[in-house]
Amino acid sequence: MSDPAPPGYRTASDKPFLVGLAVLGGSYLLIIGAMVLADLVFLNYSDRPVLGPEMVKQGRYTGGEVTVSVEPSRGYFFRKGKNDAGLQLGEQHIASDGLFRAAAGQAVLLPRASGRPITASLRPEARVLRIAVTNDVATVTTDVAHGLLWGEFIRVSDAGGPGWDGVREITDTTTNQISFAVANGAPSATKLSFSKPNPLVQALRSRDIRFSIKLSLISCTLTTLLSLWVAVPIGYLMSRFEFRGKPVIDTLLDIPIVLPPLVVGLSLLILFRYMPEWLSDAVVYKWPAVVLAQFMVACAFAVRTMRVTFDQIPQRFEQVALTLGCNRRQAFWRVIMPQARGGLLAAGTLAWARALGEFGPILVFAGATRQKTEVLPTSAFLELQAGRTEGMLAVSLIMIAAAVVVFITARTLGMKRIFA
Amino acid sequence: MIALENIVLRQGSFELRNIGLELAAGEYGVLMGGSGSGKTTLLEAICGLRKITSGRITLGERDVSQLPPAERGVGYVPQDRALFPMMLVREQLAFGLVLRALSQAQIAKRVNELAELLGITGLLDRMPDKISGGEAQRVALGRALAHRPSVLCLDEPLAALDEELHGEMCRLLERVHRETGVTILHITHSPSEARRLGGCHFRLADGQVQRDE
Repeated sequence: MSDPAPPGYRTASDKPFLVGLAVLGGSYLLIIGAMVLADLVFLNYSDRPVLGPEMVKQGRYTGGEVTVSVEPSRGYFFRKGKNDAGLQLGEQHIASDGLFRAAAGQAVLLPRASGRPITASLRPEARVLRIAVTNDVATVTTDVAHGLLWGEFIRVSDAGGPGWDGVREITDTTTNQISFAVANGAPSATKLSFSKPNPLVQALRSRDIRFSIKLSLISCTLTTLLSLWVAVPIGYLMSRFEFRGKPVIDTLLDIPIVLPPLVVGLSLLILFRYMPEWLSDAVVYKWPAVVLAQFMVACAFAVRTMRVTFDQIPQRFEQVALTLGCNRRQAFWRVIMPQARGGLLAAGTLAWARALGEFGPILVFAGATRQKTEVLPTSAFLELQAGRTEGMLAVSLIMIAAAVVVFITARTLGMKRIFA
Repeated sequence: MIALENIVLRQGSFELRNIGLELAAGEYGVLMGGSGSGKTTLLEAICGLRKITSGRITLGERDVSQLPPAERGVGYVPQDRALFPMMLVREQLAFGLVLRALSQAQIAKRVNELAELLGITGLLDRMPDKISGGEAQRVALGRALAHRPSVLCLDEPLAALDEELHGEMCRLLERVHRETGVTILHITHSPSEARRLGGCHFRLADGQVQRDE
């Protein structure tokens, strides 16, 4: 027997400890929340005007105020740089970013301090000069260079006649013209306004990104099924049986987790140099390479999860099932698998999410060919390379949405198991 | 009957040597031994869940030494009962019968019969996490008896029960023994429990089984 506590013995308050836990945990949660929220907030959901070329040449003006001539009552888009105090048009003072209508013919850019170069941006809104329709293709001439590209989308509105309004894909461009298809037999319009739809609409309308969404969803699902198909037997074997060389196999299984993903892709690429030609022709730089690259990494995570799942199911259940008349196969399917459902779901979700985010190995092993091996991370990368941060963000949001849907589905299915 | 002849069992550094035990058909055998004496290991060997290094195990009139557990005709109730967590009590009782491809009617009849014998008719449509420890013990017993084994192996069936349930379970075991005529091998670490149960008593100590008269 130990001595009883002396009378009046007191322990220190638990509060600092609990507060510490909450602060540490909370700060991480805060970052997670803020990170996702930032993406959602940053994306500009409203349509943007079609703008002409830059009127202020960056870095050219260094000494004090700069005067630019503008057309009265025309729309201009002003973005204040970090050296600028704003824009003065007669009585009108513009200090914030956005579209404004010019009141006077002279705009004066005000630097924050003299001697610093102007960094503001001032661009005129493109106006429609002429609309022509031939064979259901509308050609719109603008008064300034519009900067739109083939394959982008514009939102047409206020055209008057039916068959015009809506989001249209640009089928042809020159510096001052854009062409897009209108509905069959639409009457010709005399006026219209157009704007750039928000990046999410652009992304969801784009044929390339639609393809990459489709390829991502299909390849991730395939990868998940393949991973589970492999992970269940390996997990079960590693959990239930002792054999020679088990530690070696255990290490081998972890290799895809510890290897840099890019190296996995490179290793696959090199491996397929030794494969028969018909096989490597069918796989490398084609969609099967996407699945294989995803599978190599995702499966390792699925194996880990399944092994832990089986480890947590006592062997006693199988033993009882064996005495009741099962062989090993029956015991596995009738007694163990029903209990492993939660783990199976977790492994599947994990594999799916890993596969969705896989980029490096796919880039190396499958390439980044549009409409062929482009998956969502590749799209995000291509958008970034093309300088379209907003497009990349839109693709990221699509990925976030896909991941959230899958997680919620998995959670709901998991819940059902508990409440059944 | 249960007959063990010259059983040698090894598990890491633990070893049982030349174990012999004989229990006639329909007898109630109680095997006593301290913790770590190898009682459970021996029971698992009888059920076929653990390989024996050498020796002969006879159950009923058959040499089962080389048979898989499914073909030995044993009913096994482990100490932790190990009720299948995803099955209704009814499904647990029917488990062995479904495997033997009995008809629905036969299965239903046998399940009701067992439920009646063990007093668990009201629990048939519950999940195992919704029943008490004593009830779980009865279900595990029913599950092991369903396919009419010739031998029933009970691993500390009374260990986790309180004093009141203890007596009740003892009477139930006696009743099951009387009504089914099954050969029972019951292992326990408690001599008082063994005295209460009657039948043949064995003692496992220092790697040897001795019969207490």
